Amino acid sequence: MPDIVDIAVGAGAFKTLVTAVQVAGLVDTLKSPGPFTVFAPNDDAFAKLPPGTIPTLVQNPPQLARILCFHVVPGRYTQADLAKVGSLDSVEGAPIPFYCEDGVFEVKNATVLAADIEADNGIIHVLDRVILMG
Amino acid sequence: MTTATTTAAPSYRGVLPPSQHEFAEVIHRLEAGGAMLPDSPENLMQIIGIYKAYAVPMDFYWRDLLYMAEQVFLEPLPFFKYFPTQEYLDRHNHYAGDTADLRIWRGPATAHPELLAFMAKGETGKMPKLLHHLWHDRINMEFAEECMRAMLWHQGMGGRFNDYLDSDEYRENANRAIRAYFKGNPAMLALHKLFPEMFLEQCRQASYLANLGLFWEVMAPVFFEMSDLFDEGNLRTVPEAMNFLVNGIFAIAGRPIYHHVYIRGECYEVIPKSKGFTWLYEAALPYVEAVFYRTSPFRGTKSYNAQARQVPEDQKDFHYGILYADVFPVGTAGIPPTLLMQDMYHFLPPYLVEYYSRHCKGKDDMLIQLGITFQRSMYCVTSAVIQALRTALLYPLDDPNPRHLQANRAFFEMQLDRFKRPEARLRNIQNQDYR
Repeated sequence: MPDIVDIAVGAGAFKTLVTAVQVAGLVDTLKSPGPFTVFAPNDDAFAKLPPGTIPTLVQNPPQLARILCFHVVPGRYTQADLAKVGSLDSVEGAPIPFYCEDGVFEVKNATVLAADIEADNGIIHVLDRVILMG
Repeated sequence: MTTATTTAAPSYRGVLPPSQHEFAEVIHRLEAGGAMLPDSPENLMQIIGIYKAYAVPMDFYWRDLLYMAEQVFLEPLPFFKYFPTQEYLDRHNHYAGDTADLRIWRGPATAHPELLAFMAKGETGKMPKLLHHLWHDRINMEFAEECMRAMLWHQGMGGRFNDYLDSDEYRENANRAIRAYFKGNPAMLALHKLFPEMFLEQCRQASYLANLGLFWEVMAPVFFEMSDLFDEGNLRTVPEAMNFLVNGIFAIAGRPIYHHVYIRGECYEVIPKSKGFTWLYEAALPYVEAVFYRTSPFRGTKSYNAQARQVPEDQKDFHYGILYADVFPVGTAGIPPTLLMQDMYHFLPPYLVEYYSRHCKGKDDMLIQLGITFQRSMYCVTSAVIQALRTALLYPLDDPNPRHLQANRAFFEMQLDRFKRPEARLRNIQNQDYR
């Protein structure tokens, strides 16, 4: 089965995310056995950020890595698992809340567009927005 | 950077019932993409004029703060800490000029021409800068240092910066810099061994100097650009001004916050960039909390008795910042807020001088009038911070989901709860006669 990075590269809708992961030096981590649960904003999600936000982060890999680490949780969590726990600490350290009711699956203030995409070293949930700590 | 205009319809209409909050009118304005400050040409003219007047001394503040953090560092007798070297005056702002990482202001990257002209002549005329300094005819760094102290003292205002200052890693980095700084000075090294916390605390203070310097390095070009856009007729409303700030906050949110010290030509990374500290989380948000909301009671014509519980027991209950300040009693000679007003006074655009001369006591109480304008302008900046946080953490204003709109409403109401205190100036700034 392909790993998290292979799936993101192959899908074609995560060009910004893949570039960001490469710049931040997180490729090896996300190719490691993990497992990880990755909340992956698609290209449209990154495009919603005000102009300048991404270029500044790309110029500063440690800061970019921190934002990306907020989109990763150690362990393999399906939508059903996340519905039960309500909130989990991200790799960045700040907590991520989940909302799963009436067929709606939200991660913080983002809506999950596609859930439970299985990878060899974890699981991916696709987000319509970039989530931020706080 | 471009200005964004928000034209979303008030979200409560047809979806949410009207807010019952004391400041319902302001909340509905925020929900419609507006600011806490009402949108009027007079307010816009005031806030942009004062941003310009603030940006010029700020261009000195950030340069000197970094000079103190990086070069003066632990100097036991820092008589010349307010005399940044030419290198720091020529230092390129990372957000202005041709060499910018992200060009926010189209002007030059080196010190602003009006600042250099004032440093040469001041109010008194051309003379050696030491005489300007002793005569207090200069940019007053005391205000900037007071802001740094507020951030250092209040602590715990979000972000990871403050916790890092207590970490073993920071201690190790700082001790390395302290030992290098006092190399060849056995007396100071012995003192450091005897009282290991003493210079460490000074080092923490220097780290906050760097934090604030890096924060203001961004704000100065933002304000200069807003002033230029206004002069060209391209910034026409208070919400447009606020949205320019919101976009600016996002654009440089990821700027690294760090503390490097230069000792005998060698760089010591007391807080390395690799820690991942960011402008938004480790500088801007703690700054707003410490300086706009909390600060500390200044001894103006009003005095405070802590034993009589006139000063809160908990630091989080401190509300002496610009959003709460009574500008008149605070405006006593020599205290930091007045020194800031004095700094801004030198760089007021002509339209603001003309405006003040038509009101109150004209030129005789201009410092008070501009202080109140500054208060209005900081309500606009705080509105931008609130809208930026809403954008980052919550939902769009035109989100069709009522649950999301309710979450936005609860967030706005929670923010405005902080202005229910009697000393808050939110009520006053709704009225144009408050000056």
